[in-house]
Amino acid sequence: MGQDRRTDVLVIGAGPAGSMTAKWAAKHGAKVLMIEKRQEIGSPVRCGEGMSKEWLGEVGIKPGKWINVEVEGARIFSPSEKVFEINEKHAGNEVGYVVERDGFDKQLAIDAANAGAEVVLKTAAVGILKENGKVVGARVKQFGETFEVRAPITIGADGFESQVGRWAGIPTNLALKDMDTCLQYRMTNVDCDIRYCDFFLGKVAPGGYVWVFPKDEGLANVGIGVQVSQIKTMAEARNYLDAWIAKHPGYAKGKKIDMVGGGVSISPPLKQTVADGMMLVGDAARMIDPLTGGGIANGCIAGKICGEVAARAVEANDASAAFLQAYEKGWRVRLEEKLYRNWLAKEKLCTIQDATFDKIVDALQGVKLDKLSVHNILKAVHEKYPEVTKEFEAFL
Amino acid sequence: MPSKKSLHIESSGQLCIYCGACVGICPLNCIYLDETRITFDEKICTRCEICVKACPVGAIEIG
Repeated sequence: MGQDRRTDVLVIGAGPAGSMTAKWAAKHGAKVLMIEKRQEIGSPVRCGEGMSKEWLGEVGIKPGKWINVEVEGARIFSPSEKVFEINEKHAGNEVGYVVERDGFDKQLAIDAANAGAEVVLKTAAVGILKENGKVVGARVKQFGETFEVRAPITIGADGFESQVGRWAGIPTNLALKDMDTCLQYRMTNVDCDIRYCDFFLGKVAPGGYVWVFPKDEGLANVGIGVQVSQIKTMAEARNYLDAWIAKHPGYAKGKKIDMVGGGVSISPPLKQTVADGMMLVGDAARMIDPLTGGGIANGCIAGKICGEVAARAVEANDASAAFLQAYEKGWRVRLEEKLYRNWLAKEKLCTIQDATFDKIVDALQGVKLDKLSVHNILKAVHEKYPEVTKEFEAFL
Repeated sequence: MPSKKSLHIESSGQLCIYCGACVGICPLNCIYLDETRITFDEKICTRCEICVKACPVGAIEIG
């Protein structure tokens, strides 16, 4: 690079959503350039590394060496640590595999490159190019030099701290109640159970949860997400996590070997993800599941649709927002209803007192649910604690 | 015009883990993450202190 250039599709950001978009656009014949500001794809990791697996086939990802552990299910711990077990098929989009996230991201970038996309590292977008109100590419910076990449389609796959949407005038700002701030240690010499991803609810993590995702025997990601609107002082996320670890001897004896952090949106879906010449995908489009905080599956599923629509737009020589509605509609049909429903559930969960969490989890112990749904859970809780379900009537 | 409070982002690596949480939540889009450096636009920043809360490790201070 180093000089102004042209391509059909410019993808900004080589995380899972960007790589999936690049792969599917290239597969359908578009000339694709994917830029990544870091020097190494997938690193540093900013992720709990838990993900479900039933969607992988749908988007053409084959299981690979990036899988650390395949878990049987999730365990939900109430504040008094009553436990409710959920089979992995029903456990939401953070449960199934625990992965080596940098390896996963690299594999997806390899898939994109093998499909024909060009991948360029250490290249950051510093602004978008606009002509007659349309996005026509981006200004990028590489090795201290700034130059232009012109493209009829520009994809913002630049993650949680996305700039592309903001530059294009799409409101992606988050309310404080719609963001969790997260911190995680990788810990060795801990008593994790390799069969389960564990979630601890209640005041231990206001508006979020503490997670333990096993990477191997005795090795786990131990992390926390806390709703920003519930934070009062500096470094509270770290303080909550340290307090949780100190209270759990099986983890207090462990040793920290790594530390990562990050922001997670727990918002309702954006009203708009396309503009003339531009589409947003993945965390940049606030596609993270607001209940679980899982973003990989949704980013990849939307990425495939985004790449296919981008290629069709190139072929039709039409990058108008009207044409790109095919992406807007496509990802909404596939994901929006669940995102919205889980956002409502999150809003409710954030108001629940510890005593109520205890009753809910207690009522579910020993109950066999054939299908895990909010409705079925509430039915089971209603039989034992009818007073608890009163405030959830909207869900019944 | 009253002078603004001082805002300090510790981004030498002693506290900051370059996670980008402050960048994503800033309502005025005036915090920038450049691999291992975080800067903010002194003129745009209104010291709303949202980034202070969003920082998981307490690397942002307002005085």
